[in-house]
Amino acid sequence: MASVWIPSLLRDLTGGISELDVPGQTIREVIDSLDERFPGMRDRLCDQERIRPNIAVVVDGLRSQHGMRERVNADSEVHFVPAISGG
Amino acid sequence: MTTIELEQSVVADTPQTGKQYDVIGTRPIRHDGYDKVTGRALYGADIRLNDMLYGKVLRSPHAHARILSIDTSRALALPGVKAIVTTTDLPSLESVVSRVGEGAVNWRYLSNNILANDKVLYHGHAVAAVAATSMSIAEEAISLIQVEYELLPVVTTVQQAVQPDAPILLEELRTSELGAKGEAMTNIASHDQFLRGDLERGFAEATAIVEREFITSTVHQGYIEPHSATAIWGTDGLITIWTSTQGAHDARRQAAEVLQLPVSRIKVVPMEIGGGFGGKTVIYLEPVAALLSQKSGNRPVQLTMTRWDVLAGTGPTSGSVIKVKMGADKKGRITAAQASLTYAAGAYPGSPVGAAMAVIFNPYNLENVQVDGYDVVTNTPRAAAYRAPGGTNAAFASESVIDELASRLGIDPLQIRHINGAKEGDRRVDGPLVRRIGYLETVEKAQASAHYQSPLPAPSSPGRKVGRGVASGWWGNWPGGTSSVSVVVNNDGAVTLIEGSTDIGGSRVAMAMQLAETLGLQASDIKPLVVDTDSVGYNDVTAGSRTTYATGIAVYKAGLRIIDLMRERAAEFWDVDISTVQFDNGVISARDRRLSFKELARSLGDGNGNIVASVSISPNGDGVALATHIVDVEVDTGTGKVQILRYTAIQDVGTAIHPAYVEGQMQGGAAQGIGWALNEEYVYDQQGHLLNGSMLDYRIPTALDLPMIDAIMVETPNPTHPFGVRGVGEVPIVPPAGAIANAIHNAIGVRMEVLPMSPRRVLEAMWAQK
Amino acid sequence: MQAFEYIPSATIEEAVTILAKEGDQARILSGGTDLLVQMREGRRRVSTVVDIKHIPEVNQLSYDPRKGLDIGAAVPCYRLYGDPAICAVYPGLIDAAALIGGVQIQGRATLGGNLCNASPAADSIPALIVLRAICVIAGSAGRREVPVEDFCTAPGRTVLQRGELLVSLHLPPPLPNSGAAYLRFTPRNEMDIAVVGAGASVILDDGGKTILSARIALGAVAPRPLFVPAAGQALAGRQPSPEAIEEAARIAQTAATPITDMRGSAAQRTHLSAVLTRRALAKAIERAQTRR
Repeated sequence: MASVWIPSLLRDLTGGISELDVPGQTIREVIDSLDERFPGMRDRLCDQERIRPNIAVVVDGLRSQHGMRERVNADSEVHFVPAISGG
Repeated sequence: MTTIELEQSVVADTPQTGKQYDVIGTRPIRHDGYDKVTGRALYGADIRLNDMLYGKVLRSPHAHARILSIDTSRALALPGVKAIVTTTDLPSLESVVSRVGEGAVNWRYLSNNILANDKVLYHGHAVAAVAATSMSIAEEAISLIQVEYELLPVVTTVQQAVQPDAPILLEELRTSELGAKGEAMTNIASHDQFLRGDLERGFAEATAIVEREFITSTVHQGYIEPHSATAIWGTDGLITIWTSTQGAHDARRQAAEVLQLPVSRIKVVPMEIGGGFGGKTVIYLEPVAALLSQKSGNRPVQLTMTRWDVLAGTGPTSGSVIKVKMGADKKGRITAAQASLTYAAGAYPGSPVGAAMAVIFNPYNLENVQVDGYDVVTNTPRAAAYRAPGGTNAAFASESVIDELASRLGIDPLQIRHINGAKEGDRRVDGPLVRRIGYLETVEKAQASAHYQSPLPAPSSPGRKVGRGVASGWWGNWPGGTSSVSVVVNNDGAVTLIEGSTDIGGSRVAMAMQLAETLGLQASDIKPLVVDTDSVGYNDVTAGSRTTYATGIAVYKAGLRIIDLMRERAAEFWDVDISTVQFDNGVISARDRRLSFKELARSLGDGNGNIVASVSISPNGDGVALATHIVDVEVDTGTGKVQILRYTAIQDVGTAIHPAYVEGQMQGGAAQGIGWALNEEYVYDQQGHLLNGSMLDYRIPTALDLPMIDAIMVETPNPTHPFGVRGVGEVPIVPPAGAIANAIHNAIGVRMEVLPMSPRRVLEAMWAQK
Repeated sequence: MQAFEYIPSATIEEAVTILAKEGDQARILSGGTDLLVQMREGRRRVSTVVDIKHIPEVNQLSYDPRKGLDIGAAVPCYRLYGDPAICAVYPGLIDAAALIGGVQIQGRATLGGNLCNASPAADSIPALIVLRAICVIAGSAGRREVPVEDFCTAPGRTVLQRGELLVSLHLPPPLPNSGAAYLRFTPRNEMDIAVVGAGASVILDDGGKTILSARIALGAVAPRPLFVPAAGQALAGRQPSPEAIEEAARIAQTAATPITDMRGSAAQRTHLSAVLTRRALAKAIERAQTRR
């Protein structure tokens, strides 16, 4: 199962847990699993059917381009970080 | 997954340090060089079209006001005036946020920034625009437009804007905390946080703790070429826009959204660009020019900003208030780090505080860390990206504090950075693990450099003091986005490379070199073209230090396809199985037959078809940039003036495709950082009027203010790119302010807490010390 | 920029006639490096631009060791520092001419124009004051002369009456053992406007050990360039010692009444008045001592 790191501002939903293993083969499935265990999580991370535009998903250190469809491996590490714009 | 495929195929070719390339690492003359130095290159305002009209924008004289009415009748009656537009000509948009490029855009806010809706939110906010047969008539027409305003109270700094009783800029704005929205009206648009470890324990373990608050002023990107857009709204409903932009496709998308048209109705032609640095990733004039064209009977309309328009009306980057507290043990190991960053977004939300939160501590490997970031709206122009947005402010704060810790603990400032420096496998402050980087190498190179090894020079006269300072910087880069290219092999063996990445720093030649390397040709055999949105697939902006990386991958992949097509063609000619055809460094061979690339190309044509490949990619990438800078300054204690005596920029550049242009990026970023550190700031009066809207009083350094900046490159190839590229353009602007602050302290024993460290502020800091 | 009439004048009399007729709405054009900027930025509305660049008298530049230096009002700065004799004899003036704007500006900008623009921060004026320059003015009533320290009356305003124009500046020949210097403080090294400017001139005795007389003038610390006679008088008869220089600097500083604006604070300008007076005096004394 992928290891998902919970942004500190969402740890009120997880009761303080900052990192945990989550089932799912795509980001969508991972978020669904998180929301099942910690209701409200999906609404924080997503706006309608997509990741909120100001959040970037980083899988195994690589910035994801594929949003909810991004594939996740059993030993992947998933982070949600602020989307940074360059100049 | 695309990325894993790439990495595996790349592993075989992965450039290790010291790998020999034929083209990469050389310094061919850039393809756009001759035109640019002889004045032939065509920039935004160089477009001349038949029947062209000249446009001018009316800008708000007030920093915060409700628009009660706009009367354009007198202006319309002026002979020569052909069209006037106001916000009523723009479709009204929902407050919807979309991902555009790397970040997020609220379409309604973008539209309102282009032409003010019910309120003006900053001095210089566009209110209306006129198209006329001459610029003088347009200017006079502007003065005849009558706008009735109801003045509102003003906040120009974040300190004012966060006060509980502060005037509210956007009535619908609520503080957003990662998806959760607050209830009360506010100017605080968002709050985000990184938190790891145990801060309390970390500070308890510290031998020395330093806590300071820093303030940075608003600064502008300072590109020499003002914005310019020329548009024709054709009678067939198709719109063509020529513009100075960092991304034609992105500009097209924004214009289409604002005008509520399908993207295919708009063609954006990117002209050569005289600087952007992030400020030209957002549009201002394009939809206005298009509407004026439509309303004037489909005539071309050209809008070019004046310098005042640029400074008052386009995104500067954020001013900020940054608190930093750091503790270290007696060995210099940082045991806890905490920061609170509040950034001014300007009129609409979207400061780069999120990026700043990552920059502030990411050169270092920390266990106990907390970073809070606040995005705050103010009655100043809406912030736009500026070269490593948010980074310079953040590093000014953290690098000053680290310097102070080093000083208290008696540890050399480069040594303390080495002790704490991040390396592969460490965990970043923003969460992910560090991948391959060369930060420690930049510190080591700095320590060994001729600059650091040489003693400080003696002061040039009595009353002057010299000092030396160092600072490091991190920038995440945007190792991705979409890049599309097409490659065509001509019958003379020359190769046309069609791409859509606007060339703001030598990217054309870097793409040509990567393609040449792939095909075993010379850079001069490649003809790179930057084309319009109808002529190539989607390309994200040339920004975020992404271009040599992502467009480079596209070019490499297109090159591989070309190789396969050439092998196929050779197999046909020689009547052999393609599996027996080899391609090696520009030579195609099978058993005892061989042809060079050019020889094979010449045999094409005359009914043999054409060798063409198109590639479009959106790689999942990584490739952060790190730098360490050293500066010697001389402070005139009589006047407070800080003179830069010597400056050395050391940076991990991945693989330097064209070393001269990589050095150019390092020098350019350092020069801008120096200006930001020493003299650049927006000056507002109490009513929020911008007082210094010209290059006389908005003080960018001139060539006479800077010494030659030495650039030392460290090459730690990036494993996620076929040639090891990592972006280089942005990180060099991150360390200078901190390095100079540290040098000033070394010279006169004063800690500067405010940017810019202008002569007035240095004098005041010296007086306060006494 | 509004529409305006452009009239090239062939003679002083022609120019005087047009100026008398149009009054405030007419401006003289030499180099235009202030005028064009003001017109383009909408800071000055002008109905008539009178171009004097073709009038021979205002283009003359002549130096005679017995008579002194005459600078036509339309002579661009670059002609001054392009003349080796003027550079050798009037280095204090060249200090100023080489600072106005930048090298590109100096190809067109004139000392006459810099003076008539009457900015309190003008670089030429403190230097002209300490060099005892006289302004030669032509008008309907004929010619008159005004010492340069009396020429500016307020920011942007001068003693020129309706129908008058500046024809030339006259600088007396330098006395033996004299030296002058102009310094200014700007945040950038060049291409900037003085936060404070200081001009100083001294005349020493033959031994170079006593100051016979001195003149100090400051820029950007008052509504008009400030001649501080008391500072010079305090030096008369004294040795050029640090104490004497310090006293002159203190007197100059006390005379300054600077404002706070975006280019500098009052406290900063007051402080700089003393610093720059000290430094300009030191330079003037050094030049006087080496010119014996």
